[in-house]
Amino acid sequence: MIRKLILYSCILFAAFAAVVHAGYREDFEREFLTKPWAGEQVEESSCIGCHSFKPTADENVPVQWKMTVHYENNVSCHDCHGGDPKDASMAMSHQRGFIGVPKPADIPDLCGKCHIGILKHFLESGHGKALKASRNGPSCVTCHGSHKKGNYIQKAHIDIINEQLCSQCHSYDRAREMKQALFVVEKKIQEIEGGIDSLRKSGVFVDEEERTLFSTHAEFRALFHSVDVTLVKNNTDLFSQRLIVLEQKMRETFSELQFRRNFSAFLMLLFAGMGIILLLLPKPPKE
Amino acid sequence: MQRRKFLRVLLGLLGSGAAVSFAYPLLRFLAPPRTAAKQKSLVLSKGEIPAGEAKEIIYNNTPSIVINHPAKGVLAFTRVCTHLGCLVDYDKKAGRLICPCHAGTFDLDGKVMSGPPPKPLPKLPLRVEGDSIILG
Amino acid sequence: MSKGIRDWLEMRIGLDDLVKTNLTGSMVPKNVNLFYTLGFVSLVGYAIQVLSGIVLMIYYIPHPDHAFRSVQDIMSKVPYGWLFRQIHVVGSNLLVIAAFMHMITIFFMGNYKKPREMTWLGGAVMLIFTLAFCLSGYLLPWSQLSYWATTVVTSMPTAFPIVGDFLAHVLRGTEHVSGATLSRFFALHVSILPPLFLLFMAVHFLLVRRIGISSTPFGKSDEESRAWDRYQKKRHTDGYPYYPYFFQKQMFMALVYISVMFAIITFAPTLFLPVEANTPADPLKTPALIRPEWYFLAPYQMLKLIPNKFLGISIQIILVSIFIVWPFLDTHKEKNILKRPVLRGVFIALMCLWVLLMFWGMK
Repeated sequence: MIRKLILYSCILFAAFAAVVHAGYREDFEREFLTKPWAGEQVEESSCIGCHSFKPTADENVPVQWKMTVHYENNVSCHDCHGGDPKDASMAMSHQRGFIGVPKPADIPDLCGKCHIGILKHFLESGHGKALKASRNGPSCVTCHGSHKKGNYIQKAHIDIINEQLCSQCHSYDRAREMKQALFVVEKKIQEIEGGIDSLRKSGVFVDEEERTLFSTHAEFRALFHSVDVTLVKNNTDLFSQRLIVLEQKMRETFSELQFRRNFSAFLMLLFAGMGIILLLLPKPPKE
Repeated sequence: MQRRKFLRVLLGLLGSGAAVSFAYPLLRFLAPPRTAAKQKSLVLSKGEIPAGEAKEIIYNNTPSIVINHPAKGVLAFTRVCTHLGCLVDYDKKAGRLICPCHAGTFDLDGKVMSGPPPKPLPKLPLRVEGDSIILG
Repeated sequence: MSKGIRDWLEMRIGLDDLVKTNLTGSMVPKNVNLFYTLGFVSLVGYAIQVLSGIVLMIYYIPHPDHAFRSVQDIMSKVPYGWLFRQIHVVGSNLLVIAAFMHMITIFFMGNYKKPREMTWLGGAVMLIFTLAFCLSGYLLPWSQLSYWATTVVTSMPTAFPIVGDFLAHVLRGTEHVSGATLSRFFALHVSILPPLFLLFMAVHFLLVRRIGISSTPFGKSDEESRAWDRYQKKRHTDGYPYYPYFFQKQMFMALVYISVMFAIITFAPTLFLPVEANTPADPLKTPALIRPEWYFLAPYQMLKLIPNKFLGISIQIILVSIFIVWPFLDTHKEKNILKRPVLRGVFIALMCLWVLLMFWGMK
């Protein structure tokens, strides 16, 4: 019997003795996850292959693109610059819509291909008109950046409006006034974002709330691009109302979570109480 | 004997308490309350929407749109884009519904033509009786 | 009135005799300890899973387009849906713990030895069924966690040389994990495994009753001294009645189990539901850290460590087979593990290894 035991233990230890090197995780995942059944992997755009071979990090566009909010949302090179992402020979072909680096005056149309609502307000605004006249600036890239080092497109936020940026062309006074006008709604949006995050951590599925917040936020921001302070001030109440409704809904969710905690605590105490009673019931008589 | 009886009574009480604490949720679970009566119907007059035009309304607490299309007749959709929730606009010339946030485009059947929306735009049930358009 | 009912039943089925033979007259050995109740606790755990599962089935929709949504509706729209779902999720993990503890204590007390080999066999198979339940149930919410953990586990059979791909295909129903996989896992979880499990449980329980409870090997008992030449049910005339004394012990442990379950639901409701469990499955996006659930982590980590896939899976199958037929491999008469240092040492080492691998796999 001991022999059998020793035999089996030996098999076990021999197996583990076969293990020496690290790198097993990569091997394992490569074996198990990169086959067809792991789901189709999103193919890397052909643009990335060539553009990764630039001498300095400054010009490594793919690396910079990976720092942007576009990357996080699967918006790739060809979505803005055109070209064929699947065929390297046609990656920069004008036939496939390639437009290369746009001139400043063409930038709004490039971004506006997807961000339609923003484009509409921008073209009507002082900024849009200034761009049309000077053919030089300000364009989307002026405030939001692109994929140049230190200026990657990020998720938009109120602090893009700052003295350093805006006073490049004019006095900061107007920008300050606009930032103040935006402040109320933006602050509320930030609070709600925090609340949604907290709900998500508590295990609630917050898809609907996120969408309502996104849609309200997006509409409000589109409005801002008109850089018309009166327009923003007139609409602040409307947007605040929508946000208050969302806040109310979230408050209800928080109190529901509290109720759940209390209810299950009550059940736990009931059962624990019964357990204690059972402990106190008479034991079998000792001899 | 006193103690044993007392403990048994207590046990019985807690046990029935536990049983009720499960029976009640189970009953509520099996028979959820009827949802607040959805807006039954909304009636519009055809005259409100000239041919080729569209009207934005609120139906069932959701922003919606009723379109009077020259070829396809009267159609109604919710305006909430299935991508991230922005409200779509009707493009008369192209005969499409377009979302201003990321250019999601829907045709007049609600089908996604281009852009990021993952699902078609929900249609609203309607019927036309004489001069009235009745939603729902 | 209760006396009236008792008399009515007595006339028809001989209630008094039934109670005397099975409850008040059935004796358990004097030295039974709390660990002896773990089988009953597992039974209670399983019953809780069945009941909460049936309740959940009323609103769950086993189709990839609706599965995730239906589970979220149960959590947020259906009144008290959250309660039954949490019971099912937390209960499943606690059940695995209870089953493991039961198995470990049986092993330690040598209660798999003659005449109880069949009982152990049935129990080992039930443990495997329990893990199959866990695997199939894990996919049902159709979240990122579900989808990708299932993808990894169902590609493990591909390690087999000729039949590997075919096996994976049979498990999944299609090339990748898809709606077909969901359908067959749902069928497995809800209609194939339960009756099979019940069958094994019934046989297991009947065997325990027929053969009789064993006394612990620690301390004197008459069992070891008796010669093994014919069937003889254990009488334990010097023990105490099953009802009310041992029954009390069992109920106490069951209540501890349930209290722990509700403690987790109250104080750590997201313990078994991380953020990926609340994200709908996306076949095009593999999350950064895919891991099976904790009870599969040790075998998973072992597979990662052994460079050859086929060798890894074969070793695991060998280990599982040894586990199942152990009573036929260990026929040593000595039941007291305190007197068998080699076995004790190896077993404790294996357990520590398992725990170590589990924590390693968590990283």
